[in-house]
Amino acid sequence: MIDGIFSAYGDFIGWLYTAGLQPMLYALGMMDYADDLYRWLDFAVFGLIGIIVSWVVCRPLEAANPVERWENRDPVHTDIIYTVLSRVGVFPLLAFVLLNGAQSWLEGTIANTGFVAPTLESLVPPLRDHPLLALACYVVILDFGEYWRHRFQHRFGWWWALHSVHHAQTQMTFWTDDRNHILDDVLAALWFGALALLIGVPLGQFPVILLILRLAESMSHANIRMSYGSVGERLVVSPRFHRLHHGLLSAGQTGKNYGVLLPVWDWMFGTADFDRRVYPPTGVPDGPEGLATGSWFRQQVLGVRRLAQALTGRG
Amino acid sequence: MSFPRALLLVMLALFASPAWANLIYVLNSGDATISLIDSVTRAEIRRIPALREPHHLTLTPDGRDLLIADSGGNELYVMDPANAEVRRRVRVSNPYHLAYSPDGKYLVVASLRRDQVDIYDARDLSLLQRLRVGDKPSHIAFDPESRFAYVTLQGVRSVMAIDMATRQPAWQAEVGREPAGITWNRGRLLVGVMGESHFAVLNPETRQVERQIPTGRGAHTIFPSPDGSVLYGTSRVDSRIIAINPETLEITRSYEVPGGPDCIAFDPEGRIWVSLRWVQRVGILDPRNGDLETIRVGRSPHGVFVQPVRGE
Repeated sequence: MIDGIFSAYGDFIGWLYTAGLQPMLYALGMMDYADDLYRWLDFAVFGLIGIIVSWVVCRPLEAANPVERWENRDPVHTDIIYTVLSRVGVFPLLAFVLLNGAQSWLEGTIANTGFVAPTLESLVPPLRDHPLLALACYVVILDFGEYWRHRFQHRFGWWWALHSVHHAQTQMTFWTDDRNHILDDVLAALWFGALALLIGVPLGQFPVILLILRLAESMSHANIRMSYGSVGERLVVSPRFHRLHHGLLSAGQTGKNYGVLLPVWDWMFGTADFDRRVYPPTGVPDGPEGLATGSWFRQQVLGVRRLAQALTGRG
Repeated sequence: MSFPRALLLVMLALFASPAWANLIYVLNSGDATISLIDSVTRAEIRRIPALREPHHLTLTPDGRDLLIADSGGNELYVMDPANAEVRRRVRVSNPYHLAYSPDGKYLVVASLRRDQVDIYDARDLSLLQRLRVGDKPSHIAFDPESRFAYVTLQGVRSVMAIDMATRQPAWQAEVGREPAGITWNRGRLLVGVMGESHFAVLNPETRQVERQIPTGRGAHTIFPSPDGSVLYGTSRVDSRIIAINPETLEITRSYEVPGGPDCIAFDPEGRIWVSLRWVQRVGILDPRNGDLETIRVGRSPHGVFVQPVRGE
C-alpha cells in the first residue's frame, strides 16, 4: 500500500511537471533551472501535503480539547498565510532565485581553498549503510543547533526584536509554527546552512520523515491541552511544553523550554520546565497590538521597526 | 506429469531463458540511491544508498571500475561494475558530469553548481588543474586524439574547449540557449541545446555552428550506439528519442518516450535503457519496433549504465 501511495505521488508530480511546469520553463527560457524547479515542485507539493496532514491531525484535537477559545480568529488567519508562504515553497523559491548565484560563488570559492565539505557518513562510515540511522543523527545534531539558535533569538535584543513576531501571537495554534519575520527566516537559513556545510544535510531525501518532523513542530504550537506524560514530555516537545515557552512571562530573555523537537537540550542546559499543570496565555507583553493582530505585512514592518530600535538603542 | 509434457516444459524453459542477463545501474539523484536492475526479470534487485545526489557515471578506461559521481556528497564511488561492490571512495569537489580522455590519461569532472572544471590524473585521481569557468559547466566530450576536452556551459550559451596539453581554456563558442549534452561525431561536436529544440552541429575548427538538427523542445543529450551506426538524442520537454544518421545527420526515426528521457545506455541485445527524469522510472526501448517498457526506480533518475553479466 505504501508503495502504491509513493507510486501515485511520483506519477502525480511527474504529470504536474511534464504537463505544466516544464513547458512553462521552456517558454520562459529557463530550462537552466529545470532540475532545481523539479526539486522545488516536489518540495512545494509535499509542503502542501504537510499542511493537510497537520490540519487533519491537529485541528480535531484543537476543537476537542483547546486551551483557549476565541470568538474572533482573525489573528489565526494571518498565521495561515505565513504557513502557506513558508511550506508551499514561495520563500524557498524566492531565496533560490535571489541567492543561487551567490551560493555558487561561495561554494566555488570554498572549493578553491581545497576544502571539501565532509558529511556525517564520511566521518562515521558505518552510517553509510544505515541511511535512516544517519538521518536520526542529523536530526539530533540539527535540533541541537536549533536549540542554540533559539536561545540566541531570545538572548540578543536585536534578534528578539525579529523573533517577537513569532511570539506575539496571542491565539497560538498549530498554524503559528511558521509565523516568523522574513529576516528571522533568512538568519535561520544561514544558521542552518552553516551547520549543513559542516556536517552535510540529507534531509530532502527523506520527505516522509520531514513530514513527521513538521507535524511534531505543528503539534507543539497547537492550541491543545495536552502533555505527553512524565516520560513523553522528556522525549518530544509537546503542546504543553512549548506553550510554556510562549507564555507571557517567558518572553524575551527570561525564557524556558527552547527546544524545538527534543526537550533533552533544555534538560541538559537547565532551561527546562516540566510542570505539566501549566498552560499560560501567550504573547509579548510589551509588543504593539499590530504585532499580534496586524496583517502579515504590518507585522513585517513592525518587526523591522523594532529591529532598528534595538540596533540604535532606542528600543 | 507425463514424461513428454515434462520434457516439453524443460525444453521451453531452456530456450526461453536468455543467455545473458544484464545488470543495470540507475542513479536516483533525487533520493540519493542507486537502483540495480536485472534486465531479464526487470526487477529492481538492490537499492544502494548513496550520499546526496548521484548524477553521472563512467567506466574507467580498463573497464575494471565504475565511477559514480555524487555531486552533493562531494564523492566519487569506485565500484566493481560486476557486483556493485564499493571498492573505495574518493573525496572530490562537487562532481556532476565526468569523462575520461580517450588516451586514458585524464579524468575531467564538471561541477555544475560551482562553476569549475577539474582535471585529474587518471592513475591516482590526484587533482592536476582546477579551472574557474563560466556559469554551469554541464557535460563533457573529447576529440578522439584527446587534444581537447569540450565542456558545455549551460548558463552562458557556450561550449568551452580546454587544451589538454596546457590544461587551460583554448576557446569558447556560443551555440544556443542552455547547452547540455555533447558528443564528438566525425570531426564535429553535436550539442543538445536544451533551451531550444535542436542539436547544434559545431565545427571546432571554425568554432561556428554549421547546422541544426531539429529534435523537439528541450534537446538534451546524445549518445552513439555501440556499433556507431546510429546516434540517439533525447528531448526532455517533448519527451522523445530521435535516431540520427551519423553520416548525414538526418533524422531517421522518432520515438515517443513520455517522462523526460535523459541519459541513455545500450544493452547487448540492442535495447536502449533511458532514465525518465520526471516520472521516477527507467525506460527500455527496443529501437527495432519502438516497444517501450518502464520500470519504477527512485526519484529523479539520471545516469544509467548497463553491465553485461553471465546469467543462468
